[in-house]
Amino acid sequence: MDQPASLSSAEVLIEAVGRGSQLALKRLYVLESRRLYGIALRIVRRPEIAAEVVQDAFVQVWQNARAFTPERGAAAAWLTGIVRFRALDAVRKHGREVLTADPALGDAPVEPDVLAAIDAKTEAAALRRCLELLDDNQRRCVMLAFVDGFSHADISGRLAAPLGTVKSWVRRGLLALKVCLQS
Amino acid sequence: MIPTDPDELTVLAGEYVLGLLDSAQSREIETALARHGALREAVFFWERQLHPLSLLASPAEPPAGTWSAIAARLQPGAKAAPDWWNTAAPWRWSTAGFAAAAATLVLYLAVAPRAPAPVLVAALHAPNGEVASWVAIAGTGGFALTAVARENPPRGRVFELWGIAAHAARPTPLGVIPADGALRLASLPSSLRRGASLAISIEPPGGSPTGQPTGPVVFVGALHAT
Repeated sequence: MDQPASLSSAEVLIEAVGRGSQLALKRLYVLESRRLYGIALRIVRRPEIAAEVVQDAFVQVWQNARAFTPERGAAAAWLTGIVRFRALDAVRKHGREVLTADPALGDAPVEPDVLAAIDAKTEAAALRRCLELLDDNQRRCVMLAFVDGFSHADISGRLAAPLGTVKSWVRRGLLALKVCLQS
Repeated sequence: MIPTDPDELTVLAGEYVLGLLDSAQSREIETALARHGALREAVFFWERQLHPLSLLASPAEPPAGTWSAIAARLQPGAKAAPDWWNTAAPWRWSTAGFAAAAATLVLYLAVAPRAPAPVLVAALHAPNGEVASWVAIAGTGGFALTAVARENPPRGRVFELWGIAAHAARPTPLGVIPADGALRLASLPSSLRRGASLAISIEPPGGSPTGQPTGPVVFVGALHAT
């Protein structure tokens, strides 16, 4: 990336992709594929499936780049959303049990103490502070869903709690987070 | 349905961004985003706020060949055009039924004073029909599709609107048509200009799961400049 940031930022590249530039899509791939593949791998656990997820995501970016608007926020968050949803599709298709049955693949969902890992990296201080205000179960629900792509049922199994309780934790956690993040 | 209560909207948008909704619910949200400002605001809020959590996944190098596989899928014609392509092409319909369709369109324009300033208009009718069942207007005020004949999808199915840009290999999904037959969008994709076509297909609830039409195309029409 020798070009100035303004010429190689994801926002500019996505706009060019929207005008039909395959070169811009390739540069976006160079810029973002390691990050996005890591997100996919975290959710689907299997490299070959994560690679398919990244393929599907970039084809979707190619088709939908015009739908990206700055109103939506950072391009990185938009790309993350696309990869996460394609990864969740893959989990639905293949089944969570199949994907996590192999112990060699590791299975270490996020726990609250890893919040420290996101602190220094970005302007995520507000998110961290607000997550720490949630009770442990509410926070685990939010993080297991977002980072590991767990469904309500997956979380219910992981935390050994009834489905209805998990749904209530998610709900209360989201409402409390919203209040805190807006304050 | 999209709730009006602010807390319910916050929770629904949050569950959507977290990935906790099932596929049909997620598609309903995606379809509603274009026309529901409060929902859009709530979804974008969670996308922005939760995004730092994605840093907890360690970056890793995708397998070699991943980019080549993507590039191969971008080639026009890499996937065969759907069977209805020829049916939907404007040159196949623009003669026979056009007079009747145009008459309907003029009538609609006359009785719809609040419609956005028309720039592009289309009358959609059954591939073998002569009378328009839907009219569409795209202008600076946005895009509006309106039913002019009462058409209902089969029970348990919905109508979904598609745009086909001139020379495009594949249609672009524009949204599931609400039960009242009126679909409004902030704008049309810029590729849908004069020479593009609109088509309506029958899809499962929430719209096509693949992003491409999966059911039969039941109405077609070309966009004309006014």
